[in-house]
Amino acid sequence: MTLIPPGAFARPGTSLDFKTGTWRVEKPIHQRRAAPCHAACPAGEDAQAYLAQVEMGNLRGAWETLVSANPLPAITGRVCHHPCESACNRKDYDEAITIHGVERFLGDRAMQEGWAYPVADPGRDAPPVAVVGAGPAGLSAAYHLVRAGYRVTLVEAMPVAGGTMRTAIPRYRLPTETLDQELERLLALPGIHFRPQTKLGRDISLQELQAEHQALFLGPGRRKGREWSADFAVPGDLHTGLQLLEAWVSEGTLPDQPRSVAIVGGGNTAVDLARVLRRQGVENVHLISHQRVPAPDVPADDAMRATYREVSQAIEEGVIIHEHRGVRRLILRGERVVGMELVHMKKLAGPDGRLRRVAFEGTETVLHVDHVIPAIGQDVDPEGFNGLVVRGQIMVEPWWGEVADHTGIFSGGDARSDHGTVSEAVGDGRRAALGIARRLSGRPLEPQATLEPIPYGDLNLHYFESLPAAREPVLPPDQRRGLEEIEGGLDGSGVRNEAHRCLSCGDCLACDNCWTLCPDQSVLKTRDVAADGSHYVFDYNYCKGCGICAHECPTGYIRMVPE
Amino acid sequence: MNANPSKGSTLAEIPISIETLRSRQPRFRGLESGHRACQGCGEALAARLTTEAAGPDVVVANATGCLEVFTTPWPQSAWRLPWIHSVFGNVAAVAAGMEAALKQQGRATQVLAFAGDGGTFDIGFQALSGMMERGHNVMFVCFDNEAYMNTGVQRSGSTPHAAMTTTSPPGRERMGKRHMKKDILSIIAAHHIPYAATASVAFPSDLRKKVRRAMDTEGASFLQIHSPCPLGWGHDGAKTIEVARLAVQTGLFPIIEMERGELIGTLPIRNPRPVSDYLKLQNRFRHLFADDFRARKELEHLQAIADRNIERYELRGVRAESYDTEGADTVHRGGDRWA
Amino acid sequence: MPLALEGSQALARAIALCRPQVVAAYPITPQTHIVEGIAKLVADGQLDCEMVSVESEHSAASVALGAAVAGSRAYTASASQGILLMAEVLFDIAGLRVPLVMTCANRALSGPLNIWNDQQDSMAMRDSGWIQLYCATNQEAIDTTVQAFRIAERCELPVMVCVDGFTLTHTLEPLEMPTQEQVDGFLPPYFFRHGLHPDEPRSLGTLVGPEHFSEVRHAHHHALLRAQDEIVQADADWGEVVGRQYGGLLEVRGEPEATLGILTLGSVLGTLEDAMEENPDLPRARFIKLRSFRPFPAQALREACAGLEHLIVLERALSPGYGGIVGPEVQAVLAGQSSPPKIYNVAAGLGGRDMSLELYGRLVDLIASGREPEPFCIIDADPMLLPEEDR
Repeated sequence: MTLIPPGAFARPGTSLDFKTGTWRVEKPIHQRRAAPCHAACPAGEDAQAYLAQVEMGNLRGAWETLVSANPLPAITGRVCHHPCESACNRKDYDEAITIHGVERFLGDRAMQEGWAYPVADPGRDAPPVAVVGAGPAGLSAAYHLVRAGYRVTLVEAMPVAGGTMRTAIPRYRLPTETLDQELERLLALPGIHFRPQTKLGRDISLQELQAEHQALFLGPGRRKGREWSADFAVPGDLHTGLQLLEAWVSEGTLPDQPRSVAIVGGGNTAVDLARVLRRQGVENVHLISHQRVPAPDVPADDAMRATYREVSQAIEEGVIIHEHRGVRRLILRGERVVGMELVHMKKLAGPDGRLRRVAFEGTETVLHVDHVIPAIGQDVDPEGFNGLVVRGQIMVEPWWGEVADHTGIFSGGDARSDHGTVSEAVGDGRRAALGIARRLSGRPLEPQATLEPIPYGDLNLHYFESLPAAREPVLPPDQRRGLEEIEGGLDGSGVRNEAHRCLSCGDCLACDNCWTLCPDQSVLKTRDVAADGSHYVFDYNYCKGCGICAHECPTGYIRMVPE
Repeated sequence: MNANPSKGSTLAEIPISIETLRSRQPRFRGLESGHRACQGCGEALAARLTTEAAGPDVVVANATGCLEVFTTPWPQSAWRLPWIHSVFGNVAAVAAGMEAALKQQGRATQVLAFAGDGGTFDIGFQALSGMMERGHNVMFVCFDNEAYMNTGVQRSGSTPHAAMTTTSPPGRERMGKRHMKKDILSIIAAHHIPYAATASVAFPSDLRKKVRRAMDTEGASFLQIHSPCPLGWGHDGAKTIEVARLAVQTGLFPIIEMERGELIGTLPIRNPRPVSDYLKLQNRFRHLFADDFRARKELEHLQAIADRNIERYELRGVRAESYDTEGADTVHRGGDRWA
Repeated sequence: MPLALEGSQALARAIALCRPQVVAAYPITPQTHIVEGIAKLVADGQLDCEMVSVESEHSAASVALGAAVAGSRAYTASASQGILLMAEVLFDIAGLRVPLVMTCANRALSGPLNIWNDQQDSMAMRDSGWIQLYCATNQEAIDTTVQAFRIAERCELPVMVCVDGFTLTHTLEPLEMPTQEQVDGFLPPYFFRHGLHPDEPRSLGTLVGPEHFSEVRHAHHHALLRAQDEIVQADADWGEVVGRQYGGLLEVRGEPEATLGILTLGSVLGTLEDAMEENPDLPRARFIKLRSFRPFPAQALREACAGLEHLIVLERALSPGYGGIVGPEVQAVLAGQSSPPKIYNVAAGLGGRDMSLELYGRLVDLIASGREPEPFCIIDADPMLLPEEDR
């Protein structure tokens, strides 16, 4: 019992005896929510997390965070179509963060500095897993399997690793040295046994692999051109886009030297080839696409699959793009093409709600070209896959990538009809590795929810300042001739600028807002990182649940929940 | 992958007890938890920020009002500072007495006087004026919540024009308070004191900077801190900061600094907003959104008052820079700038 | 050696001898000469003190309060309306148990305006919780002021020294001023146990709810009752230093064996004593000089009144609609006695009305008439100056 002193004065801080927390009907909690960049990344990178480390000056930590999802950042930083940036909340404030530039910078820095992957040697007694195909999917799967403690036999039909990255991406987008360095480091990981020039069905059978390994990952590329004709006419000198592109990438030349070319298709192969042809001196390069040039206001299902950056550079370089067009028929003189009849087309929802292409009669036009190249996609060659390849693809469970009705066999990357980019392949490889680890440890492959990104409206943008994005240097179109890389990387200040611009969506910035703005002194700052990843602890003894901390949290990391 | 499961930070997750963590906070805590202010109280926050910046070597005189009542229900006190409450109208004089005593004793302890708008604009004004005229080395802080909140929201000299209070209710003959908000800072400035400023709980770093500046000032200094009252203004307690911020962004509460009566600084308005954005968040202005001429007229009247403030203090235009960081309302990874 | 000094000047010097560290005041007749005197001593460098010339009495009391809690000996002075303007602060000072001393240069209250002497102002503060000591002479005012600081600081209660305006404050007479050594020996440096200091950050002036308020008041009441011992002790101790004593709580003077008693507060006693000496044919009276009105010295009063048949309580204030203020209290404390005296309660000298030597005769006549005492009358009022209905 406190005796009443003269004048009834009180002792300092005795209000702590009064627990105002009992007033609360809602309480604040820390809730890490996925940043849109994280949710959108096909490879599963948490860009927000590594941008935070970059801002703190911890470049190596940032790279380690990055390669915990994607072992090939120097590559993807160059070739990825970066949906992270399209999703970035900052685009609604001023400009999206140049995430790919930071990714590339970290990947390049790691190679310069010779940083080793933070991966332990799984040891000689680790369970063996086989990976077929040393493209991005297979490399990613192998890497993540080693991280998870497995030994990997990586078989590849070609003499060198890289798959599509090596055969179909022009050097001006991805220099050979970058590719080689990144892959060498990966293949040198203890636990990976790389067997090049080992073609499935020719040099080794699926059964042999299965017998010697506890699980399989199949990561074949798509190298078998689809049959193409326009109104049943096929020109005699037909090459597919991929064939031509591969020839140019590997030999630096093309078989013919046409004057005018029409490429049919809207994917990266089509665009890359169009740009290659321009470099070869082809005067008129036309690109015929059912879809439109990708742009922020173009819906994804109406946009060409090629990367916006590539398409716009192609246009800069003189490629003529015919949007919303299809080929009605070829105009042949003998077996030689002299032109083609185009028609306006668009995807429309049919009575069943599914989108289908519709040609509009009366919109036909003629385009005079002396060459037509279909670049409408390729299939997986089914040889050696013992029937797992159906209609040019392998049917898998969409998250983990396990082949239907084949427990322990996983697949991803080009083998999936819905995935065709390097980043998607990397993501497929990672999830499949995790799936294999689950299978081999007897855990079920539960369906996984996709990340729910924190929307722009849940941030408190008052606490940020408008700041322009750092942009990479780009070679002017008139200097883009040989193999020189078109895009330069961000420099250190550009990278710091981007890290500083990151809104840290859904994660604790350690900005002190909650700590500073609590009228009840009920947010306590911790010296270390609290267990939930934040830097603050709510003292629920006194928190009255007013909600100021949640309302003023710039990143939407604090949520009010009912008591 | 799943998003991380939601969880709050709790005692079990940190290696030390929450009491220990509390005792190790890297800021001085002048106002401790367990006080009985309403949820989202702007005044409690303002007092917290002020005392944190002022530090422990102070003595405080506090006028009657919410702040005094919610901090010191005997036997408890939320203060960790030597503190006295006497009566409503004498806080400046009590502070002056303390200052005279400390001066005579040769001690450097700084004297603070805390009052609400009633204790500043109205009942305490004479003592305040006298204290400033005599040049006591006292930092007088007015926690301006624009009405007599402790007695249940009656109008004061600080209540804005057209605001509803229990003694300025809107009705058939009235649209809330008939009179203007007293321009206290100009009156204070006319005392020619070395430092006078306005601040807002929505701009804590600016507020702290001004507290420190006032503390460093030899002689009387005056700080008017706009402190929303969720109960009296009729807004969600979670929006205390937002409301305070809007008061600044609309121009209704200019953030300015004066030395010896001369304007020496302003907080530029970075994101100008119409007054209706501020008013519509508060029940005390609800009657201004009725569909009638009087309501529209008073809305325009308040906009005109805001426009006049903006013009008078040049809150936009030449002085205002879009990348201004003087206001320091921007956050940075790793915080600390507000420490 | 006695000095010829005006009462106010003497008081100013006495206060300076007590080494107040902060003096705050607002001028009001008849207190002005006191604070002017202090201001001059400060200006001349004879007193190291912060002299705060405030903008109102409300602030004067508040500055004194602030100074006292911040660890400085504090003093203020006022009168009349000034006392009333201070009123809320005076109650607060007492309730917070803050030791400080003020002089009340007693004066009538408005309205109508009257600037002359009576004691309505301090009487209005009867229930403020202050110790009130009334002085009969300027010499007593000087000595009581010195004692007041020690009483205040030992009891943690404020002390109001009541000195009749003009009658004492503006009268020039030979007075013995104590020396600084005498005062320093008697009055230790100021110390307030519950003051404000960053090293021990207390909160003063808390909100005390119904569950504790009665106890706070109980404690305050008993602190005042206990203060009687300290008042007596201070008078005795100071008496040893200077050789002058004033009876502690009250003083019995005049004819100790008389059965007629006259109780007074303040300077009127001197007039009555002179009148008794000059009129040897009139019955002699036992004078009871009430020095401590708060705390009210019930036991001392009972002893002082032993053997009285008649007791006239002469006041310089009244409670309109009831009558006297001191009279009923005296009546109440004597009520339980065996054969208490008949009590005659009168007021006189309101608003500075001259109390001549004839007053003694008029008072004695009250008894001589043999009539039952009226409950109360203003003995020197002339009803014939009033309209008929007001007589």
